[in-house]
Amino acid sequence: MLDNITLGQYIPGNSALHRLDPRTKIIWTGILMVAVFLLETWQEYVMMGAFILILLMISDVPLKQSLKGIKPLLFILVLTAVLNIFFIGGTPIFTIGPVKITYEGIYSAIKLFARLVMLIISASLMTLTTTPIAMTDGIEKLLKPFERIGVPAHEIAMMMSIALRFIPTLLEEAQRIMKAQSSRGADFDTGSIVSRVKSFIPVLVPLFVSAFKRADELADAMESRCYRGGKGRTRLKSIRFTKLDLSSSLIGVAFIALTFGARFIFNI
Amino acid sequence: MKEMIKTIDVCYEYKNISGHNPARAVNGISIDIKQGEFVVVLGRNGSGKSTLARLFNALLIPTEGTVLIDGLDTKNGEVIWDIRKNLGLVFQNPDNQLVSTTVEEDVAFGPENLGVPPKEIRQRVDESLKMVGMENYAQFPPHLLSGGQKQRIAIAGILAMEPKCIVLDEATSMLDPKGRKEVMDVLAKLNKEKGITVVLITHHMNEAVEADRVLVMENGQITLSGKPRAIFENVEALVRAGLDVPKVTALAYELKKKGYRINGLPVTLDEMVSILKELLNSSGIDKNSKLNYSANIVRNPDANKLNNRADNEDIIVIKDLNHVYMAETTLEKKALKNINLTIKRGEILGIIGHTGSGKSTLVQHFNGILKPTSGSITVDGLSAEKKDLKELRKKVGLVFQYPEQQLFEETVYKDIIFGLNKLGLTEEETKRRVFHAIDLLGISPDLLEKSPFELSGGQKRRVAIAGVLVMEPKVLVLDEPTAGLDPKGSNEVFNILSELNRNEGTTIVIISHNMDDIAAFCHRVAVMRDGELMMCDTVDKVFTKASELKSWGLDVPQIAELMGRMAQEGYPMPFEAMTVQDGVNALDSLIKSGGIGHA
Repeated sequence: MLDNITLGQYIPGNSALHRLDPRTKIIWTGILMVAVFLLETWQEYVMMGAFILILLMISDVPLKQSLKGIKPLLFILVLTAVLNIFFIGGTPIFTIGPVKITYEGIYSAIKLFARLVMLIISASLMTLTTTPIAMTDGIEKLLKPFERIGVPAHEIAMMMSIALRFIPTLLEEAQRIMKAQSSRGADFDTGSIVSRVKSFIPVLVPLFVSAFKRADELADAMESRCYRGGKGRTRLKSIRFTKLDLSSSLIGVAFIALTFGARFIFNI
Repeated sequence: MKEMIKTIDVCYEYKNISGHNPARAVNGISIDIKQGEFVVVLGRNGSGKSTLARLFNALLIPTEGTVLIDGLDTKNGEVIWDIRKNLGLVFQNPDNQLVSTTVEEDVAFGPENLGVPPKEIRQRVDESLKMVGMENYAQFPPHLLSGGQKQRIAIAGILAMEPKCIVLDEATSMLDPKGRKEVMDVLAKLNKEKGITVVLITHHMNEAVEADRVLVMENGQITLSGKPRAIFENVEALVRAGLDVPKVTALAYELKKKGYRINGLPVTLDEMVSILKELLNSSGIDKNSKLNYSANIVRNPDANKLNNRADNEDIIVIKDLNHVYMAETTLEKKALKNINLTIKRGEILGIIGHTGSGKSTLVQHFNGILKPTSGSITVDGLSAEKKDLKELRKKVGLVFQYPEQQLFEETVYKDIIFGLNKLGLTEEETKRRVFHAIDLLGISPDLLEKSPFELSGGQKRRVAIAGVLVMEPKVLVLDEPTAGLDPKGSNEVFNILSELNRNEGTTIVIISHNMDDIAAFCHRVAVMRDGELMMCDTVDKVFTKASELKSWGLDVPQIAELMGRMAQEGYPMPFEAMTVQDGVNALDSLIKSGGIGHA
């Protein structure tokens, strides 16, 4: 049941992607996502597809693992693609009753499908090659400049890392409480929707009570270990831009220029 | 030597919440703890121990009096971080003090807060992990560690701050015996090799034996203070304080009371062995004496009852039971392997085994919470694989570990009848059952209309057990019902269970790590190891196999161990003796039959 949820899909490795500064990865994932939405011609699609495939190959992450991210979304992907086939007008190829399948419909369905797959893969490439800690560190550093306008960068990062730490613990606890309440006669599986939702009260109340208690104790523990916010804090592993970040960013810029440059050179 | 901790007439009063009288948790304590000392603070739940620990660490500031840590006053806000750097605190719940998603990041948390340069943090983390023997787990996420390992990480996290003193607030109370030993070994090492002052707050007497000094706390005050030996001499005062003494000490004390001549009181097994040798020799019993006593007077009458029950009918029959978690995945784990076990109607069966040996998995099959992967289980004629589990759950009540964590209703009464409500009983019958259960458990009727969250820990646990008892199950299964309770609270729970078994004939299955309790209260014991049932027999037969049990990482009751040691030395020893009372009976009759009576 709940055991199947694995958190932080990080796959240990030592590829160039693993060694990149998390900030570089976060920024470039953002850039790639925007770029994917700007794709137009099939040449651009092929370029982008090839680029992501190369990233996948150098990432040391087994192909199976990176495609896993698509699986739960496959249904939605196929559905949106199929809807595109039906609802985009143009040159009909064939018609079944009132439904017209058009050349343009199929074309845009394929494009949309490809776009979404590329989006998911590039996002999961980031999470697969970055530890949760590096990720929160990266976010903290990226948000740092916004501290002046009141963004609590350190606190956000600390909250994220505590959440990551406690999700497995709370899942385990939820499972134990469910077992205990069903031993006392609680029934989570039958009845109307209302009664099923209601049946979770005996799980949620103890879970919340315990979460608050944990929070309380954790705050004590953190305080007694001299935690006093982000000021003056050092890190065991401080993230740092290296030559690798510079060179890969240059490659990235070159790639983007190559992909979209053609459009401007030939179309203008 | 320099004073590490000095308190002068310290009082702490919790603020008046929701109309309660302000409670003085700590009431006038003056102590000096010297640098390098290993001090154990003993006391019942609610005696103020945890408040004291928090006062040491400046998490709480005294209402009256002064706390000086390494000469620094905790009231002075400017030195608070120096105090916390010098005096680290390890908390009770191993889960709630680890902050980070990997072990090494967690250990680094303290030095990071102190602003130590990264290079040095690395060095400190590696050294600290090595000190607690966890260097191979640096990259592990904390939730995959055992309780003992988590506490060692918490200790490493404090070591990395290079403290002068470590205070442990009941840090061993949620651990199994193995985890407890791991933590104790680490503490002894830190104290001896690094000269770190250790203050261990606990209610496990055996942890106090090796201490330099023991303080006993009662109602916010220190009532006894001295070397462990001197403290344990006050057997009666300790029992009055709701505490316990090591079983060998209790045995010697009881023998003394019977008039036997024993010089001083032993605190360790070795000491008791030499005392007993002397006693037996002086009574004319030597290595060649023959055993001449009746085993019947050895075991307490309750235990003997079991023999009459041996031919009773079976209530739970388990055949070739297997259980596999997450079958056909990479995480597949065989939790139970070919278990064959029958539980007799009306018996008290203990289940022992190391953590992860499959005990909890096994009992969760009894009421259909878990389904067998293969094999069968029948409860009172009902197959536990059936779809409709209502009948089964009426027959088998299952009390999980820390059951107080399941309370959720607005009032105690509502919580107790949560399960009953689904049975469609009349209001009178419901009331009758509730009052019967609370009477048995010693819950005052005044509490029924209170919120369960207002109660003390021990009361909450009883309410949670009451919620299962009102179902009037034929079999009551309890997963570590006394975990976290102090000796008195733990004894009370066992007495309630015994009474339930005697008066109502309820079959009881208890999972426990406390071998002394198992020996005193159970008829038979099942021993689990790595998902297999290693043996299931009467208490005396199981616990005389000390060497096997030890090789499986289990303890034996201290008295049984004593008898075994004496037998090794060649003395005729009553192997059946498992508890202090058994030991007294057996030795008494042995010595009398040896021809020489009381001194």
